[in-house]
Amino acid sequence: MASSSSSPAPPTLTSAYAAPPPTSISSQIASTTFTFPTYTSFPPFYTLQPNLTTRARQLTLWSNLLTTYCAHHRLFKLSLSFLPANLFANPSIHRTLSQPDIRTVLDHLALPANGGRVEWIPTSSRSEKPNSCWVYWRTPAEWADAIYGWVDETGQKGAVLTVYEIREGEAVQSQEWRGMDEELLRKVLSVLVKRGKAQIFGQEETAGVKFF
Amino acid sequence: MFLRQLDLTPALRPSLYDDETLLFVQDAVGLYEGKFKIANYQIGHVYLTSHRICYVDNVEPRTYSIAVNLKDVDHTEFYAGFLKSSAKITLFPKTPKNALRSPVPKYASPSDALVRPGNSPARSHAPSPAPAPARDINATWICPICGFSNAVPTNFDPATANQHTKLPACQACGIPPPLVHMVKAAIAAISNRPAHSSSKTGALSNGTNGRGSFDVSSANASDEIICPRCTFGNHASLSTCEICGASLTAMNNRHSQLIGDSIARPESPGPTLGGESIIGNDTIETIKFSFRAGGEKVMLERLNEALVQRKWLLQSAPPVPKPGLANTNGSISDLYSTPPPPQRVVGIAGLERRGAELRKNNQTVIGSAFEDLEALMTSAKEVIAMAEQFRSQNASSDSVTPEARALLTDSASALGLSTTRDMLGTGSSSETLYITELARNLAEFLTDDRRGVLRREGGIISLVDLWAVFNRLRNGIELVSPFDFEKAANMWETLHLPIRLRQFKSGLLVVQDRSRTDERTIAALLSWLRQLVPPQLSSDGFEQLPPAVPAGLGFGHGATAQETAERFSWSVGVAAEELEMAEDTGALCRDQSLDGTRYWENCFEDFVVALGLKVPSAASVEQMETDQIMKNLESMGF
Repeated sequence: MASSSSSPAPPTLTSAYAAPPPTSISSQIASTTFTFPTYTSFPPFYTLQPNLTTRARQLTLWSNLLTTYCAHHRLFKLSLSFLPANLFANPSIHRTLSQPDIRTVLDHLALPANGGRVEWIPTSSRSEKPNSCWVYWRTPAEWADAIYGWVDETGQKGAVLTVYEIREGEAVQSQEWRGMDEELLRKVLSVLVKRGKAQIFGQEETAGVKFF
Repeated sequence: MFLRQLDLTPALRPSLYDDETLLFVQDAVGLYEGKFKIANYQIGHVYLTSHRICYVDNVEPRTYSIAVNLKDVDHTEFYAGFLKSSAKITLFPKTPKNALRSPVPKYASPSDALVRPGNSPARSHAPSPAPAPARDINATWICPICGFSNAVPTNFDPATANQHTKLPACQACGIPPPLVHMVKAAIAAISNRPAHSSSKTGALSNGTNGRGSFDVSSANASDEIICPRCTFGNHASLSTCEICGASLTAMNNRHSQLIGDSIARPESPGPTLGGESIIGNDTIETIKFSFRAGGEKVMLERLNEALVQRKWLLQSAPPVPKPGLANTNGSISDLYSTPPPPQRVVGIAGLERRGAELRKNNQTVIGSAFEDLEALMTSAKEVIAMAEQFRSQNASSDSVTPEARALLTDSASALGLSTTRDMLGTGSSSETLYITELARNLAEFLTDDRRGVLRREGGIISLVDLWAVFNRLRNGIELVSPFDFEKAANMWETLHLPIRLRQFKSGLLVVQDRSRTDERTIAALLSWLRQLVPPQLSSDGFEQLPPAVPAGLGFGHGATAQETAERFSWSVGVAAEELEMAEDTGALCRDQSLDGTRYWENCFEDFVVALGLKVPSAASVEQMETDQIMKNLESMGF
């Protein structure tokens, strides 16, 4: 029932944050308003800290904010030119994370040692820096498990499903991955293929997936 | 010779009296008493002033520093160094005039030692003098003809002996010795007699007992007494040697023990006295200063000059009579302290008249003083008092005339506030000596509460600012070059002075009190940052915070370098450095915005802990940064 992802509801600064931790797979209906954690009101949060120990902590908090925000608003992709308004800024304290700093934070999050929560989408020309990235508030592996689990539970092993169905089908409405980007879904499915749990056949548009 | 305990300034130099001026400084000096080194007083500085000569030890300056008043010194003797033995200056005390008869003799003069029996009623009144082994039984004289060593008779007093004194004949050849010879032998024996602590021995006895603590320290470990004359080891309970008959008093044993010890220690020529306090020790007769690094000739000159000039008498001397003063008031200082008006006119007219008289006096003083340099020297005291007054006035007002400036600087150097280069000897060691003295001067200058330099700057001042202030005070005479200044600043640590030099990450050098550590500064900053809540944030309502955040009202407030400087009365540069230092330790974090850079208390840790997140280590963050940079460079084609 939350709208599809690109326009988030305006957040309000109320009491302490209480969102589900990113690692749990149980399905939950996200609340309509995203409660920003207290640290987003801490002005130094929006300045990249020179002290490396402090910076490590700061980046951890950013990672946390990003994943929870995107999980809440079901954002799978983040584009630097169309950033959600209050994700990297807090107008009430007049602080914004600057563009180069945003890139740094996302670069940091893209490293596998930090959980690999972000992946840059490579652009067509090599010299340009990528402008958008995937936000894996669940990693593809987790998505793969989730989808496979659902397939298993609903007894659709052996059945053939279209990709569209997995994304937008009625049976999927209560699942977390509904409305996922096509590209991302294909990535997830390729993970499953690698694991040998699924097989994709057919053309691009009418591709079908069979689960084993 | 009365050795007094010495008061030291915080910079470990002797604190001078008001009239006292510093004449000479020399380091690497040791003290001797007679022939013996005095333990613990072997490495130090000696400061010669117009009233005293002071020794300040290097190792433990506060416990082992003494001073000798020049007015107690009778004459000096110079010994130029030879081979391994360094040059020495010996100070001989004045014998008090009433040594023989006085009921309370202050000094144990040589005469006391030998004329004991006549003094026994006198001795019973004496509270503290040493009951010297009255008869120095071991005083012997060698007959010049046959070489037999006879004992010096106990009633022989070298001070009062003259040609009519009957001298005993030599026991072997029967010929009486010349008087001079006998006197010399007696004096030699006395000066070789080791000193003992005076006040500790209450017992008044002569001979072998009642030496007090001295005996304890000299007790033999091996229960055998070595005879001083023939070195035979006698039984502990004997009183005369079995072989040669010399007396075996404990005192004499100590003498021989010392000689034995000194033979066993080849590296230091000269035996050492054991560790009793020599302060206030009445029986020390002569003090010798051994100059191990030169400077003895200049010292001797200045010392003799000081003895001749006798500046300590000036204090009680009547003031120099001033020609041409109408009233009977002698000097300016008298005028200031007790100003009776010559005519008792009250009101404005009286005040005006008084002011006019003051000005007239000043004029006369300055006129007469500057006319003749000699007259300046004699009236130096009044001129200095006036200069002090003017300086305090000038400190409040801004107008300073050039003559007043010159006068002030003259008086400043005359007051001995600064060690000038000509006070020190020549030679390469004087360079380091200059630097160490400069370092001590600086320490005194900084810790001087009257000026409050450090206090005005909030306890921390940059080296450049300090250099400027210090040189400004010197007023054009004996300015210090920045190089010397920095060298002196670096010596504070080694000299254990109460201030220290500190270098910030950016290279800024500051001077601060030794007790001010980084932790204390950080704690002060944090407690201040937690205090205020700026009004614009309080409307957001931080009522329910995760309990890990320490400040109850939010995050406290952020401070710019400017605000910090105002709060702690530092300079802005220093404040910025301190904030950065605190940030480096992780206590603060920064917040850069269009307003500027503010520093907050570092709450990131608390957030992370509250959310239970895992944090990558700082090293991994750094690694990632460098990797990222390398990748970017590669992608750009380098």
